[in-house]
Amino acid sequence: MQDNYLAKWLNNELTEAELAEFKKSEAYATYHRIREVSERLEAPHFDREQALMAVKNKRTLQETKVVQLNPFKKFLKVAAAISVLITASYFYLNTLGEKVTTQYAEHKEVVLPDNSEVILNADSQISYNSKNWESQRNVELDGEAFFKVAKGKRFTVTTDAGTVSVLGTQFNVEHRKDFFEVTCFEGLVSVLFKGQEKRLPAGTSLVAIKGALVDTHSPNTEVPSWVNSESSFKSIPLRYVLDEFERQHNIKVVTENVDLDQLYTGTFSNMDAELALQSISVPSRIKFKFEGNKVLFYAENTP
Amino acid sequence: METKNHDNVCEESVFGTIFNDTSKTVFNYIYYKFGNEEKAHDAVQEAFVKLWENCAKVSPAKAKSFVYTVANNLYLNVIKAEKVRLKYADKTLKTTNESPEYLMEEAEFKQKLDRALNRLPENQRTTFLLNRIDGKKYAEIAELEGVSVKAIEKRMHLALKSLREKIDGI
Repeated sequence: MQDNYLAKWLNNELTEAELAEFKKSEAYATYHRIREVSERLEAPHFDREQALMAVKNKRTLQETKVVQLNPFKKFLKVAAAISVLITASYFYLNTLGEKVTTQYAEHKEVVLPDNSEVILNADSQISYNSKNWESQRNVELDGEAFFKVAKGKRFTVTTDAGTVSVLGTQFNVEHRKDFFEVTCFEGLVSVLFKGQEKRLPAGTSLVAIKGALVDTHSPNTEVPSWVNSESSFKSIPLRYVLDEFERQHNIKVVTENVDLDQLYTGTFSNMDAELALQSISVPSRIKFKFEGNKVLFYAENTP
Repeated sequence: METKNHDNVCEESVFGTIFNDTSKTVFNYIYYKFGNEEKAHDAVQEAFVKLWENCAKVSPAKAKSFVYTVANNLYLNVIKAEKVRLKYADKTLKTTNESPEYLMEEAEFKQKLDRALNRLPENQRTTFLLNRIDGKKYAEIAELEGVSVKAIEKRMHLALKSLREKIDGI
């Protein structure tokens, strides 16, 4: 008899001979009975429909559970927004860079990351980015400053009126209202003014008033006069001279019947206000009244 | 069966078909094991909710064995077997000719069989009843239990042997 013959018998897999032999055994009767009776066994009642409903109910129950996870998703959204803001402001602040400002009657010396020097005249502001200074030497200027540029890559001074770029030299840039002046003291300076490039060799200047180029004389000093506490002018309209006086001495200037367009050539002191006033008034043939923090210029022939 | 592969278990109709084909077997299987109807109902629920959750990952062809495996693992060594209670279908038409003695003897035999069944090891009882009541082939029981057909035949053989021994009082 083969292995597990009882299982085979139940499955009708016994051979004729095996079956005949099995039937002869005394246990066969009981086996046969078991087979017959167990055929009529029944399992407990099982309602498929109800069970399926139960599964579906539980399914929807669990699906709502998933919805309850939403607060965390909201938190994630907020966290993502915040991190975007932080990153954006980090990069924005990075691009802002350093800023140096001078008030009236104030000078400042700034050393840039590559040891280039900038001397800032009164009421001026420069800003630059020291983070990527190596790749881009760029200074934004509003006002007047004298640059001593260390040799290296192109160095650019950007103003609203024009762009000045050099490789390594000393030059002065002044940009005031309607007034733009670049003076080169050493090397070669290239000025981009109104889309045109002008090259200034050492000892030359470029002056533009109200956006128009003006003929000017070459400076005869090594550094701009203001660096030595004097302000020098050559054929510059009086209004810009008085503006400069205001800035250097922090004294309010008022004029009466004075021709502000007459040209002024001369130098005034940035230290002694009384002396400076005389330096301005005598060659221009105007008078002045100096009271505390205020000065009034008036024509000689007015009473 | 090959065409079925293109269907998705996530689809309500496919899921329903699988449920109708398989749920009663799962219920009976767990009941034969532990004799606890409540646990058997829970097992059906658990197995099919799991199937739904994983419907995208389980192909319709694999769904059946997935459900069996979940049900099988659910009560692993967790609950104690209770008494399995089974009913007998009435042979209403046949009984007319039978003598009261025979009926008495028949009832006695059923009692003996019941007792013997409950004293079987759980895996033998489950195999025996799945075959006798649910008409499951040995191959399908093997799939359900995760063992070979040979092992099921062995269990069946041993189940019959010990049932007979207990009934005949050997």
